[in-house]
Amino acid sequence: MTVAEESGDDHGHHLPAVEDWPRGFGEASWWPFVAALGAGGIYLGAALYVLVSRNIVSYGVFAGAAILSTLLFLVGLFGWLYHAFIVSFWERGADEHSAHKLRWGMVAFLGSEVATFSAGFVYYFFVRVGDVGEVPHLFGSLVIVNTALLVASSFTIHFAHTSLLKGNRKRFIGLLGATLVLGLVFIAGQVYEYYEFIVHEGFALGSGEFSQVFASGFYALTGLHGLHVSLGAVLIGIVFVRALRGQYSAERHVSVSTVSMYWHFVDIVWIFLVVVLYVGAPVA
Amino acid sequence: MDISGQIVLTALMAVFLFGVVLFLARAADWRTYTPLAGAGSGIVSREGGYGHAEKPAGIFRWLTTVDHKDIGILYGVYAILAFAWGGIAVIIMRAELITPGIDVTQALASSMGVSNGQNLYNGLLTSHGITMLFLFGTPILAAFSNYLVPLLIDADDMAFPRINAIAFWMLPPGAVLIWAGFFIAPFVDSVAPSMASWTMYPPQSTAQTAQGGAASTISQLNAGTDLMLLGLHLTGVSATMGAINFIATIFAERGPDVGWDKLDIFSWTILTQSALILFSFPLLGSALVMLLLDRNFATTFFTTDGGGTILYQHLFWFFGHPEVYILVLPPMGIISYVLPRFSGRKLFGFKFVVYSTLAIGVLSFGVWAHHMFSTGIDPRIRASFMAVSLAIAIPSAVKTFNWITTMWNGKIRLTTPMLFCIGFVGNFIIGGVTGVFLASIPVDLILHDTYYVVGHFHYVIMGAIAFAVFAGVYYWFPLVTGRMYQVTLAKAHFWLTMVGTNLTFFAMILMGYAGMPRRYATYNLITVGPIDFIQLLHVLATVGAFILLVAQIIWLWNMVQSYLEGPRVGPDPWNLEEDGVDSREWDWFEDRLDTALTDGGEPEDAETDA
Repeated sequence: MTVAEESGDDHGHHLPAVEDWPRGFGEASWWPFVAALGAGGIYLGAALYVLVSRNIVSYGVFAGAAILSTLLFLVGLFGWLYHAFIVSFWERGADEHSAHKLRWGMVAFLGSEVATFSAGFVYYFFVRVGDVGEVPHLFGSLVIVNTALLVASSFTIHFAHTSLLKGNRKRFIGLLGATLVLGLVFIAGQVYEYYEFIVHEGFALGSGEFSQVFASGFYALTGLHGLHVSLGAVLIGIVFVRALRGQYSAERHVSVSTVSMYWHFVDIVWIFLVVVLYVGAPVA
Repeated sequence: MDISGQIVLTALMAVFLFGVVLFLARAADWRTYTPLAGAGSGIVSREGGYGHAEKPAGIFRWLTTVDHKDIGILYGVYAILAFAWGGIAVIIMRAELITPGIDVTQALASSMGVSNGQNLYNGLLTSHGITMLFLFGTPILAAFSNYLVPLLIDADDMAFPRINAIAFWMLPPGAVLIWAGFFIAPFVDSVAPSMASWTMYPPQSTAQTAQGGAASTISQLNAGTDLMLLGLHLTGVSATMGAINFIATIFAERGPDVGWDKLDIFSWTILTQSALILFSFPLLGSALVMLLLDRNFATTFFTTDGGGTILYQHLFWFFGHPEVYILVLPPMGIISYVLPRFSGRKLFGFKFVVYSTLAIGVLSFGVWAHHMFSTGIDPRIRASFMAVSLAIAIPSAVKTFNWITTMWNGKIRLTTPMLFCIGFVGNFIIGGVTGVFLASIPVDLILHDTYYVVGHFHYVIMGAIAFAVFAGVYYWFPLVTGRMYQVTLAKAHFWLTMVGTNLTFFAMILMGYAGMPRRYATYNLITVGPIDFIQLLHVLATVGAFILLVAQIIWLWNMVQSYLEGPRVGPDPWNLEEDGVDSREWDWFEDRLDTALTDGGEPEDAETDA
């Protein structure tokens, strides 16, 4: 218990950042500032990339800024997660209140994700009203296998969560690990699919014999989804490592449930993508 | 003009920056918390709920704070800096429009690294719009909501205090990128401030060179636009994080005795605003990324082969119209909150004000194509959007009538915040009614892209939103600083702002009727109306703009000086308890004053504006 925490107890006022850096304070943390500097730096990196393409700055400046900012961003996030969730994991109150707000946060975030994806879908539907030109053959065994993997991973993460709630820790870790493997195999499958399309079938952005209008929509939507699956894999990886190191119990499982919500969402988006893009593209 | 004009501008900027430096120097020490000597030494520094030891001292406090009140102040300072940038941009534009030809911007262009006066004008126009909407409008409302919502709903803090902090700290790099074109232009010929206007329609946003022409290769594109798009995306991410935070806070952090039936009107508008941000800003973010991909990676999202500019306009206005309500709902909440305090009554028809807020929130997603009536879209689509656009006038009118009815037979006290509230209602009626005319397709086809539109939305944005911001700033100035502002200066600020606003923007409405197109740097070649008459109106609008400039300098002076030297106030500076209209944030303020007194603060004569 630090001083700041005790001193903040009257009037029932709880301090938000008791265990944090700098220590000894209850309402101060360097991590948001560090992470924001990193995030701003990543955007600056993107800006420098643009200036590289206009022959205004050299490639090295861009690469240096991008690498440094990404590192700074990751350091900020790591410190943040460590101090906010990990360092006092068992000491923090496991009240329904805190779980409640974190779930609301995830629900709201997923609401914003609907809007993020919908711009791409709107483009696709908008151009599909007219003639998009020649569309490559998309639907094959790879898509079926990948879809099956992702749907299966939704089940494994769900039952991992219920196992945790029932106190079956071994099964929880096993199913969580299985989800992570399924997710990683899915990403590998997507990379392989891109490779096949671009290198062997001539279906690429900027060149190739197929419709560029279609390619823009296809790569934007599958790329955005791929980024989300990758983020999901990172989140599951964090939960998995924390589980291996002994965290989580039937009472303390908020991040398992929020990550699970996110993963289901990504899965549902994929089903939409398969129906609309892979199966729907050749439909006249 | 060229040399002396620059000297005057430079001097103005110097005075302004000096004020900022003074403010920051004091802000660094302001309410500084002495860090404990050796963490964990066991010395509890104070008795009150808000201890001294919770934050480090000096500037580090502001960089590391996760306290919603500090972050609210940071948002406020940031927004005022952006307000100054956007204001200076528009002052240069208004100076340009005094005469029909090109002169002021032409004189400034070469020293700012821009190829000619028209291009500088277009760059200032773009920067003014983007800055006022994204860097002033949204953040200044976040300043109020961050400071007040946790106090009003009896929460310890925001649901996610650290996310609150990162959402703010992503804004300064966003602003630097948005303004980057101005910083780089003097040094690099192929970069200019973006001239795409705040709506960023293709092909201006996808194919413009730094000289304003059409680019044929990627390397000729004006990088200023790319940087602006990146900065906008960053501020959009920040706004979305803030919205998620407010939704989680209002849903999950309300105190035990703040049920949905007890939720105050300001928090209702913030909740609705956050929902609108949640579904509109990410969509803008995706559209911005699509623009960037079109510019740099040869995708076809908004090219003529692909979705074209019509698709872009659909996506943009699906964000853009809710953005109008994102900006106006919390100011309406401030008015609904502050106006009854000085009418000696409770808000008339509270429930219906809440319902109208929610109704506006829902309807705002169904009106976007009224910005596209003249683009040649399907007439059946136009008709349905016209119907919804007219319908959204109903909940807005419900609010207006409720404000008027609240004042009716009330015990009205004309304090500065009340003056701004009444000014809001008056200006909002003009802004709203001119909007109803624009919602009608045949009228819109005549007035589209004229100054009428500019006058209409500035009546709402300056006449209503900024007025509500000032009402809020004056009303809560004692809450934040513990001091009272200078009443005479405040009243001068109100009257100058009221006169300046109506002079500037009513002249624009008339100019629109005369056919003056918007966004033009010159009007010596237009044939729609008598140039002498249009020039007279332009001169009036410019005079109004300079009155507004003087008013805001008075305001800034008042705020800074009163914060430093204003008389300290008692626990109820507005005598609200007398009329039984006191509210939760002042109870919190009383607690804080009690704490400060036990800590050795000296009580002084209480000062009010009544």
